Amino acid sequence: MTLPSAPVRIVAAALALALALVGLVVREGLARAQGQEVVLPITGYDPRELLTGHYVRFQFRSEFPAGTPCPPGSGGYSRRADAWVALRRQGDRHVATGAALSREAALKLGEVAVRGDIDCLARTAPETTWVILNLGVDRLHTDQAQAEAIQKVMLANRDGPATGSAVVSIGADGKARLKGVTAGGRRVDLTWF
Amino acid sequence: MASYRRRLEQDLEGWIGRGLVPADSREAILGSVGEGRRLDAATALAIVGGLLAGVAMIAFVAANWSDIPRIARFALVLAVFLGAAGGAAWAGARGRAVTGQVLLSVAALVFAAAIGLTGQIFDIAGDPQAALRGAGLAAALLALAGRSPWAAAVGLVFIGLADVTGGRLFEASKPWIGWLVVAAPLGAATAVWWRSQALAHVSGIAAIVSVMTLERLGRGHEEVTFMSAAAVFAVAAFLARLARERFEEPAGVLHGWFVWGALIWFGVAGFGDGLKGVGHSIAWLALSAGVVALGRHDRHAPVTAAGVVGLFAAGATLLFNLGVGLMTSAAVFGGAAMVALAVAWAMRGRKAA
Repeated sequence: MTLPSAPVRIVAAALALALALVGLVVREGLARAQGQEVVLPITGYDPRELLTGHYVRFQFRSEFPAGTPCPPGSGGYSRRADAWVALRRQGDRHVATGAALSREAALKLGEVAVRGDIDCLARTAPETTWVILNLGVDRLHTDQAQAEAIQKVMLANRDGPATGSAVVSIGADGKARLKGVTAGGRRVDLTWF
Repeated sequence: MASYRRRLEQDLEGWIGRGLVPADSREAILGSVGEGRRLDAATALAIVGGLLAGVAMIAFVAANWSDIPRIARFALVLAVFLGAAGGAAWAGARGRAVTGQVLLSVAALVFAAAIGLTGQIFDIAGDPQAALRGAGLAAALLALAGRSPWAAAVGLVFIGLADVTGGRLFEASKPWIGWLVVAAPLGAATAVWWRSQALAHVSGIAAIVSVMTLERLGRGHEEVTFMSAAAVFAVAAFLARLARERFEEPAGVLHGWFVWGALIWFGVAGFGDGLKGVGHSIAWLALSAGVVALGRHDRHAPVTAAGVVGLFAAGATLLFNLGVGLMTSAAVFGGAAMVALAVAWAMRGRKAA
C-alpha cells in the first residue's frame, strides 16, 4: 500500500486538527449546558495579564465572621489535580463546606462536589475569615466596555465582601465551567453568539 | 551562492593562468554552479504589498474583534488555519518546497494561536501546559504529513515551552521528566532522516534544554544526573561525528550541539557539593582543551567555540576553587600553558617526521 501524496496528507491532517478543535468546543459547550448550576460569590482580582484580550478577572471568595473555622481540608490539597471541593446551598448562593481527595469524600461534606481546592484565611476581629475557592476558572472574556464596567464595580470593594456572583456549571466530570457573571446590575452570559 | 560564484570566478582565473584548468572548461564549471536567485524589484514590491495587506487585515479584524459573534470568530480562526494548511498543500503539489514549508509552519503557529483563541472566545478554562503540548503535537502531525522539518522545529519549540511553562520546572508536583527528553532525540533522528539543518539546530538545543527537566528525577544527587547527561551527550556527539560521512550537514550540526551539551552539563555537575573542587575544574579544563583540538582537527567552528567557552568557564571555576590567589593562579595557568605548548610541540614534531 502506498501512502497518499504530501498535499493530501497535509489536508487530511489539517482537517483532523480542525475537527478536534470543533469537537473540543462542542464537548465543552454540551458539558456546560448539561452540568449542575451553582451560583458562587466573586470579588475583583488583580493584576491583569497583558496581551490576553479583554476580560474580567475574579476570585471565588466568601467572607465569614471572625472566628469562623476554616472548612475541613482547606489549604491541605493546594493545586492538586485529585482534590475536590464540597459545596452547599446557602440562600441563593453556594458556599464551600470542605475539601477532600475524592468525589465520594467531598459529597459527604456537601451537596455538590467540584474539582478544585480551598485556601482559607482565618483572622481575628475586626477582620473576617476568607474562604477562597480555586476551581480553575478565574476570568470572563467579554467586550472592552462590558469588562471594564464589571471590573470597576468589583475592584471598588476588592478587600470587602463579594460584590458579584458567577454562575458556574459543574459537569459530570466534576469540572467547573463558567456560564455567566453578574456584578453591579450587569449580567454577562456565555452564549454561542 | 552569489558570493561563492564570485570567488569561484576569481579562483578559476588563477587556475587557468597556472594551467591547472583548461580555459575551455571555464563556462562549463561556472554553469554547473548557476546564478543565485535574485529578487527583482516588482517581486519585492509585491511581497511588501502582500505583507502590508495582511497587516491591514489583521488590524481591521482586531479592531472589530469584540463586535464579531463568538461563533463567527471561531470560524474565522479555523478558516485562517485551514487556509494556511491548504496553501501549504497547494504549494507542495506545485513543487514549491520553500513556500510549502513556510505555509505549513505558519499553519502550525496559527493552530497554536487557535487553541488559545478558542479558549478565550468560549471561556474554556484549561491548563496552559496542556495547550502548549497540544500545539506541539499538532505541529508534529503537520510536519509528518507534509514532511516538513520547519513545522517539526515549531513543534519542538512548543513542547519545550510546555516543559518550562507556568513556573512548574522546579515544583514538586511536576512530572519526573519533560517531554523534550523524548521529543529532542526524535527530532534529531528526524533531522538526519530528512537531511534538515534547521531541525538539527532546534533538536540539538532542545536536547541540551531537556536535561533541565530531569531536575526532579535527580533531586538530591544532581551531580550523577548531570554527569550522566554529559556522558550521554558525549556518546551522541561521537555517533554524530561518525555519521557525518553519510549525513554531512545535519549530523555535523548535531555533532556541534552535542559537544556543547556534553561540556555544559559536565561543567554544571561540578557545582554540586559532591564534585565541587579543583579536580573537577582541571578535568573540565582538560576536556575543553581536547574539544578545541578536536574542533580544529575537524574544521568544525561550533565545536571549537564550545571548547573555547569551556576553557574560559573552567578557568573561572578553577580560580574560584583555588581561592583566587593570584600567585597560585599564575602558577596553575603557567603550568597549563607549558603542558599545552609541550603537546603542540610534540604534535608538530610528529607531523614533520
